[in-house]
Amino acid sequence: MNAGTAKWQRNVFIASFIIPTLIFFGVFTIYPVVQGLYYSFFEWSGMSDKKTFIGLDNFKEMLHDPIVWRAIGNDYFLVAGKVAGIMLLATFFAVALTRFGFRLAGFFRSIFFIPNVISVVVIGVLWNFIYNPQIGFLNAFLSLFTKEKVSITWLGFPDHTIWMLLPPAIWAGIGFYMILLIAAIQSIPESYYEAANIEGAGQWKQFWSITVPLTWEQIKVSILNIMMTTLNGSFVIVWIMTEGGPDNSTQVMGSYLYQMAFRQFHFGYGASIGFVILVLSLITTIALQRLMRHDTVEMS
Amino acid sequence: MNLKIKNPVAKLIIYAILILWGVSVLYPLLWTLLDSLKNNEQFFLNAPWALPELPLLWSNFSYVWSKYNFNAYFVNSLVVTIGSTGLALLLSATTAYVLARYTFRGSNALFLLYISSMMVPFVLALIPLFFLMNSMGLINTKLGLILVYTSSLLAFGIFVLIGFFKSLPKELEEAAIVDGASYYGTFFRVMLPLSQPGLITIGIVNILNIWNEYIVGTILINDPAQYTLPVEIGVMQAEMQYRTEWGPLFAALLITIVPVLVMYMIFQRQIASGITAGAIK
Repeated sequence: MNAGTAKWQRNVFIASFIIPTLIFFGVFTIYPVVQGLYYSFFEWSGMSDKKTFIGLDNFKEMLHDPIVWRAIGNDYFLVAGKVAGIMLLATFFAVALTRFGFRLAGFFRSIFFIPNVISVVVIGVLWNFIYNPQIGFLNAFLSLFTKEKVSITWLGFPDHTIWMLLPPAIWAGIGFYMILLIAAIQSIPESYYEAANIEGAGQWKQFWSITVPLTWEQIKVSILNIMMTTLNGSFVIVWIMTEGGPDNSTQVMGSYLYQMAFRQFHFGYGASIGFVILVLSLITTIALQRLMRHDTVEMS
Repeated sequence: MNLKIKNPVAKLIIYAILILWGVSVLYPLLWTLLDSLKNNEQFFLNAPWALPELPLLWSNFSYVWSKYNFNAYFVNSLVVTIGSTGLALLLSATTAYVLARYTFRGSNALFLLYISSMMVPFVLALIPLFFLMNSMGLINTKLGLILVYTSSLLAFGIFVLIGFFKSLPKELEEAAIVDGASYYGTFFRVMLPLSQPGLITIGIVNILNIWNEYIVGTILINDPAQYTLPVEIGVMQAEMQYRTEWGPLFAALLITIVPVLVMYMIFQRQIASGITAGAIK
């Protein structure tokens, strides 16, 4: 066998392992994403082939669309609320289940992760039931303490209903980040803590001067991940629980895209909402990375 | 050696919080089971935490299974999940292997393409996907769903498996080549079996993701005969506004959750490591 055929064989092998995957990925992921960006410059009802090029008009219209601003506000409200709630609880659980030598740590760990394997649709339905004004848990529970039967429409406040979506989102998200942080904490050499013990540093001191700095990389990844998954995917739970209502007050950008495109058939406008989601998530990623880089602790 | 907390009050508080959270996770599952055995009357007259009255209405399960066609949705979900997981494993393992072991013109660009795609919101692709599948005649087909799901799983699989292949010693392949194995023989007979733990991890995570997927299913499927379980759950809950059948709804939730719970119990370790592997970029 000469060098030429050997090289040829190698190339054929590489091509046969690369190309099918790439074609697949190109047709069903890259092409739609690029198309999505392209559609955002058109007005298009989706029903006919007639797309009208309107340049940046969709984006100009968005500037004057109060629902867009509300949706962006809700998106960042959810990002902030989820980052705070999830990081606080996930860090607490991760520390409690690793550093304190609880006997049931493994059991709690397995239990806490369960919401992460359940479909968001199911989670949405379960929480809808908790919030249900007639037969829901929350009202029935509150009624135990009042004379009159409580019948609050938890998902129907004209304002602030978005707050009600935070508990399910946090509940569903914690396990994943807890596991991530547990792995990080377990990779810290035990000798660090032993040395701190000898020097008489308490748990709290050890947490701030050993655990946090040495898991900072994972904390950063977690925060970025919460941000991205919220901007890109939180609309599913919104859609299941409120469909963006009442009166569009819980709309987020993803759910508004879905409503505009698949309910109201403004596919061009929907696509331009998608464009903005991409831009927002990129900008926020860069901003957060810069913000958190300054806090990185040099470790020896 | 782990530290013991000296202050018993602090210990008690921490334990209390852990137990409280554990209950908040387990209790909804328990009440899903209990409520799936009730009729409407019990929902409206009794407290939500009341136990179901006897006789237990196991008939709610057979009702959703046959009258609501959950037998069909279950099979649809199964076909779509297995189809896309299998196809995605094959397509991502081949590319990951080549990217892990060979350098060629464009190999780095290819790697970056897959990795950076994980940053792009999938919602962007929803509208064009609908029209693409429509023009290919794949709307309302399981094949259409399988193709889209497979593609959505590729980047994650490639990313994790590259790391896995890189961790395998090179000597194994060299030995195989010396023994006269072809490139394909080396991959399929030596490397693929060795990477089984990685493949299993990815496979399980993919199965969970696809089994639970809602939004793509809702957009690409509007023929009730082709619904997957999550799509039907969404439809069912929307219908609850004028057709109240709470017991069957909870039975439906349970049918959807039980398979993933069983998988979780069996493959707990792989799931935890697989799901977190994708996050550490």
